Amino acid sequence: MAELAYHQTTGAKVARYVIYAVLIAMVLFYLAPLFVMLSTSFKSLDEIRTGNLLSLPSSISFDAWRAAWSSACTGIECGGMAPYFSNSLKMMIPAVLISTLVGAFNGYILSMWRFKGSDTFFLLLLIGTFLPFQVIILPMAQVLGMLEIEDSTTRLILVHVIYGLQFTTLFFRNYYVTVPGELVSAARIDGAGFFRIFFKILLPISIPTIMVCLIWQTTQIWNDFLFGVIFSSGDGQPITVALNNLVNTSTGVKQYNVDMAAAIIAALPTLIVYAIGGKYFVRGLTAGAVKG
Amino acid sequence: MGALSIRNVKKSYGDTHILKGIDLEIDKGQFLILVGPSGCGKSTLLNMIAGLDDISSGEIAIADRVVNKLSPKDRDIAMVFQSYALYPNMSVKKNIAFGLEIRKVPKAEQEEIIARVAKTLQIEHLLDRKPSQLSGGQRQRVAMGRALARNPTLFLFDEPLSNLDAKLRVEMRTEIKLLHQRLGTTIVYVTHDQIEAMTLGDRIAVMKDGEVKQFGSPQEIYDTPANLYVAGFIGSPAMNFIPVQLGEEGGHAVVVLDNGSTPQSVRLGPISEAQRAFVGKQVILGVRPEQLTDPESAHSDRTNLQSLQATVAITEPTGPDTLVTVTLNGVKTVARCHPRAAGHPGQAVTLVLDPTKALLFDPASEKRLA
Repeated sequence: MAELAYHQTTGAKVARYVIYAVLIAMVLFYLAPLFVMLSTSFKSLDEIRTGNLLSLPSSISFDAWRAAWSSACTGIECGGMAPYFSNSLKMMIPAVLISTLVGAFNGYILSMWRFKGSDTFFLLLLIGTFLPFQVIILPMAQVLGMLEIEDSTTRLILVHVIYGLQFTTLFFRNYYVTVPGELVSAARIDGAGFFRIFFKILLPISIPTIMVCLIWQTTQIWNDFLFGVIFSSGDGQPITVALNNLVNTSTGVKQYNVDMAAAIIAALPTLIVYAIGGKYFVRGLTAGAVKG
Repeated sequence: MGALSIRNVKKSYGDTHILKGIDLEIDKGQFLILVGPSGCGKSTLLNMIAGLDDISSGEIAIADRVVNKLSPKDRDIAMVFQSYALYPNMSVKKNIAFGLEIRKVPKAEQEEIIARVAKTLQIEHLLDRKPSQLSGGQRQRVAMGRALARNPTLFLFDEPLSNLDAKLRVEMRTEIKLLHQRLGTTIVYVTHDQIEAMTLGDRIAVMKDGEVKQFGSPQEIYDTPANLYVAGFIGSPAMNFIPVQLGEEGGHAVVVLDNGSTPQSVRLGPISEAQRAFVGKQVILGVRPEQLTDPESAHSDRTNLQSLQATVAITEPTGPDTLVTVTLNGVKTVARCHPRAAGHPGQAVTLVLDPTKALLFDPASEKRLA
């Protein structure tokens, strides 16, 4: 490879620069909205009104961020995003953990303890991954009604766990089918039971897949708007719904800087999760694809 | 009653019969080999002995105790797998200790066992490593160590050497044999490699299509295979099968071998009753390559060696011997000759055949005519 690089023709060099140029242009294009959001959130309302969308703020002001966090009005409440941020956290953390653990358990059974009809069962679960949100809203509402769960957070945890299960099951099942069944056989001969094999042997080697599920579920659940707006109410709403309310509250002047700051606050957790776990995500998705 | 008894064991999935009634019995300390091509049911049988697979009907007893209903952990067995199946998240030491911990063996005793096993297999320096940091041969040793730590009545090996390269495989083969001699344990060993079967086993069960085609000592199986399948499966290069018409002359079986130009009459051993029934009919003559050789290499103490003429088609030197292919009765026949006496393609050579070792088979039933 290195030798080839030395003997590149002029044409190949030009082609390479063109590729870089195109890539850089795309990066700028995709980052532009983020840049606008960030710079707008640090501007004052006056500057937004008079200035250019793409210009940098003349002075950095955190007023908009403070307002977005603790005093902006979402509908009739004026407590900022903070309470809804915490709602989202309270909903997301249990939902992510439960759906990941149960998914791992499902995957373990569907790959290592096949039962009659387990393949059909898996197929049905797979179909679940193709079902759009909208399809399940009505039946879900009926079920929630029958269960008589009042608390918004509990309702959303349940909904997200159920909707997320087919994905987490799929991830774990597809990872565990690459694990040799002899590992389970060996453990059975060693005397380990169903749960011990799962917790002592399979779960510890599933870190990449666990990371995939955590990231996937965190993103899905945190960013969800539809379930949030339908199955929660009042002060139990998640941050996505609150952001919508904040942006759509139409009294007085539109505070673009606050809107932008609030939007960034709402997006921050998933950004952080990707920054920390992104490499695991790619590694986990390709785990088992290549031997080694 | 033996260390392991398998009585009329069957296994079916719906209408597919994987095992069609297996009967095997070995004594304490014996090394049983289950050998056969892939899909013959040998691994299924091993899994059933281990308790990893259910038995459809029949009975398996380990040390005179019927274990049909027992779970693997209660059968007093240990197993070494083809993929080694080491727990990737645990160190070598933890791998060996895992089964002991579950069995609630006291900590001090665990340490003692680990130290002893590690010493036996010379893996003391590897105890703190993870399986991913070990070479194939080392993993193999650890897998055996995990089995040894259990000190079971019965060891099960499922193709343990087939993931190793050729040189290491021969080394580990010797080592397993040595270990068996030293510890005197009872072993059931599954392989598809007939050389492994011959070198390791006390008793060999040659399997095909869910049946045991022959069960006996390696030498029995080699010298007096029960049928064409066993005769062809065991031995490398494989036994020559030459179609012949059987005759009788002065109480001896006689066959005619045609090298393409001259038919030559060859006198075999004394004819048996079973063989006499086939006089005048087509049978199959089975001759191992080393029993068809040049006059010089033939054992001089053997009397009534039969000599015949043939034309060399191909020579394949292996070093100590040269495999000479000739045509007899229209089939390619391999003779094992001294390199000096091998000749070259197109040349006529004299070969001698050991009549006492030649076998006759019924072409219809494929059974040996004893």
